Amino acid sequence: MLVRDYMTKHPMMVEPEMRVLDAQRAMGENDVRHLPVVKQGKRLAGLVSRGRLLIHPAKLESLNVWEISRYVSDLKLKDVMVPAQDVIVIDKMAPLEEAARIMVNNKVRCLPVVDEDGNIEGIITKADLLAQLMEMLGARRSGIRVTVRMPNADGEAARLMHAVGAKGWKIPAICGVPSPRKPDMWDAMIKVRDASRQELIAVIEGLENHEIVDLRET
Amino acid sequence: MSDKRRPRPVLKIDRLAILYETRKGDVSAVRDVSFAIHRGEVLGLVGESGCGKSTVAFGIANFLDRNGKIVNGSILFQGQELRGRSKETLRHLRGNQMSMVYQDPLSALNPCLRIGKQMAETLIVHKNMKTGKAQAKCLEMLKRVYMPDPMTMLARYPHQLSGGQQQRVVIGMALLNNPALLITDEPTTALDVTVEAGVLDLISDLRTDFDTAILYISHNLGVIASVSDRVGVMYTGELVEQAPVNTIFATPLHPYTLALMECVPRLGESKDLSYLPPIRGRVPSPMNIPPGCVFEPRCDYARDICRVKHPQLRQIAEDHAIRCHLAERIASNGAKKLKKRTPAEQTITLETTYDTEEPILRADKLKTYYTQRSNSVLSLIGLGTKRHVKAVDDISFKLRRARTLGVVGESGCGKSTLAKTIVGLESPHDGEMEFLGLDIMKPVRNRGDALIRELQMIFQNPDSTLNPSFSVGHQIGRPLRRLRRISRHEARKEVNRLLEAVRLNGSYYNRVPRQLSGGEKQRVALARAVAAHPKLVLCDEPTSSLDVSVQAAILNLLLELQQEFEITMVFISHDLSVVRFFSDFVAVMYLGKVCEIGPAEAIYSPPYHPYTEALLSAVPIPDPLAKQKAIRLSGAVPSALDPPTGCRFHTRCPRLIGDICAEKEPPGADAGPDHKIYCHIPLTELRDVEPVVTLSED
Repeated sequence: MLVRDYMTKHPMMVEPEMRVLDAQRAMGENDVRHLPVVKQGKRLAGLVSRGRLLIHPAKLESLNVWEISRYVSDLKLKDVMVPAQDVIVIDKMAPLEEAARIMVNNKVRCLPVVDEDGNIEGIITKADLLAQLMEMLGARRSGIRVTVRMPNADGEAARLMHAVGAKGWKIPAICGVPSPRKPDMWDAMIKVRDASRQELIAVIEGLENHEIVDLRET
Repeated sequence: MSDKRRPRPVLKIDRLAILYETRKGDVSAVRDVSFAIHRGEVLGLVGESGCGKSTVAFGIANFLDRNGKIVNGSILFQGQELRGRSKETLRHLRGNQMSMVYQDPLSALNPCLRIGKQMAETLIVHKNMKTGKAQAKCLEMLKRVYMPDPMTMLARYPHQLSGGQQQRVVIGMALLNNPALLITDEPTTALDVTVEAGVLDLISDLRTDFDTAILYISHNLGVIASVSDRVGVMYTGELVEQAPVNTIFATPLHPYTLALMECVPRLGESKDLSYLPPIRGRVPSPMNIPPGCVFEPRCDYARDICRVKHPQLRQIAEDHAIRCHLAERIASNGAKKLKKRTPAEQTITLETTYDTEEPILRADKLKTYYTQRSNSVLSLIGLGTKRHVKAVDDISFKLRRARTLGVVGESGCGKSTLAKTIVGLESPHDGEMEFLGLDIMKPVRNRGDALIRELQMIFQNPDSTLNPSFSVGHQIGRPLRRLRRISRHEARKEVNRLLEAVRLNGSYYNRVPRQLSGGEKQRVALARAVAAHPKLVLCDEPTSSLDVSVQAAILNLLLELQQEFEITMVFISHDLSVVRFFSDFVAVMYLGKVCEIGPAEAIYSPPYHPYTEALLSAVPIPDPLAKQKAIRLSGAVPSALDPPTGCRFHTRCPRLIGDICAEKEPPGADAGPDHKIYCHIPLTELRDVEPVVTLSED
């Protein structure tokens, strides 16, 4: 699970000399929210997001309507982009959680992926991470989705897996997180196939200290 | 869950129209072509020559000739319109996000620059990279394209590389800048099947790794079936059908697609059991396009509406677009089953009585060597040791009347030399050769007219076969006057009869070769070859330069002529499906030696010689569901100047069994009636090998 495998390769790229007007239209037409700006081939020069294309009203206050239209049509991406030195980037060999951490901590929605020379290799966005979360939780696969709360101790998750695995059922998805607001507990979500509801409940209830928090069929 | 994320296509072409300005007015080469290619997807574009495939590719990259211009439509690349962009922007784009690979790798490479320098140039110019670093990147890329010994390759010049290696360099170069779109125009057409298979493997590997969108142009349905995700069929500048690869090969609906698929021989089919329906007529010139459907004049399904109304490309099923008025009717009648052709009345079967006769052509231990002059001082005064290129080395075979011997092998295996030796254009070094009981070891200039008359040849390139300044009638008449001593007046009648026999008519008598299409020229060459009623015709790749539809017609014609005049044939081709279709016996050649020889059906099923097995596994099969073993030969055919000892194939053999292969020449093992395999591996083991190709059932 490295950035390399989940980024969008060959993202749409634009040049610093492009007019803001054209960039705005291109973003709308292609349904993208972030545009890496490149020069000298694919070297990152900056980043433009939709927010960057908004013009602060204060800037326009002193201008009359004709001047506004000229100002807007002359505006280039290089005037509004986040310059390269301020863009937070990531290496393609970084793990996915590192990308998530950087995005959460810096409150950015996308990270350009660059090589050691600063050439764009791809871009990874929040949507890519959410898509991956969806896959991890097995959203595309059917089965009984059960969340089990257990003490946050060594071997507890293994006991659950062992009990379910011993039955020979298929497990299309599995993941675990610390229980929300309960630091000494752990929530494990597994998706099980080929098992009936009763059988699954019976197996989990047979485990000491394990409690079913949620159970549904998908 | 069906919420599939469908990203924006890398390339989206909408209603593209391109025309060429000529002295005779504007010629519209491409009309109303629309398609899209997504990341990591391969779109195959297929059609006969002159259908505008390459023009589309040139149009995208804006590499059209000066007189070509895009008159309509849009080309959206990465969401941005390419039409009307400045030359400079397009140049940047080409260098950074779009790459092209063309048919002839040698003309794509600069002959006076070393490979390393040439590759690094792209990085230095487009990315301002330091030389050392660029070199390192190039090395890495050469490894990525499976180049043997990449370090030394960097220091070589293009001419020191084999064709396959050159194409690898070009592909590697194209990928150096990690392009979003790769346009490949017939990248494997000039290569041997074994090399082609390697390049195709490479392309499909690369698109998964680099997520590159690929536009793959080819006339070869087999190649298209093996690399593409989706296929577009082009005819006269229009896209006539577009669908995912499995759909289009399982249920083609456009009559043109149907016809194209029917006219290629499939591996395993032979002339006794099937007939190749050619497409009548030819691709109309873009100067006068039919008013209705462009395919109407050649279409078997055509109705009145087709003559009047031009059909639009429409969606007939999800992801299946077609430009035909009658698509629904063709679909509901159940498109003709392509896979199983039953023996029809038209099939041509040969009398079996010939089998008991004496062979008319017999070669025994035939050797043809080319002498290589050495550079030493001794050789100047005639004392140097002579070195020989052993082009044909110890070949023996027999051929009976009205039978066909197919000869296959990679280029440089001595196929053509064998044919030239038989016809007398090369003098054999040693051995015996008899034709109708006569010794034919003499070169052609020492042979009598009677013998010359019996041996004729058809060459690969009809352009260079025919004299451009004489009329067709004159050229066909020449062997009649020279060899059959027919009077001028009689000759004219005979020529007309021959023209009819090759499906041309008397109106061709006074034409000169430049007024003919490739297929027509080959017909004339054929008529000339059979004019003197020869007993033996040697065909050296007679259909390789032709379109598949024309190829089908020529093959049928050859078969008919063979039957009518009881001609014996030696048929050389690199296309194993065609050889299987056409021949009764097949000889597989490698480096001047025969590896395996026998009846055609025996060659194409186990036991195989390991080389035959490798050749068969490399044949592109026009069926995406067929299962084929992947045996890839490494390296090129070794030099015939210094062939490997023992079994010549041992340096590349995937089934090498030990030192014996390198030390002893393999004996011929009888694998059946008339079937010999030259290999050290015991026959019982070779028999256990699974068939290379398993065609899909149903």
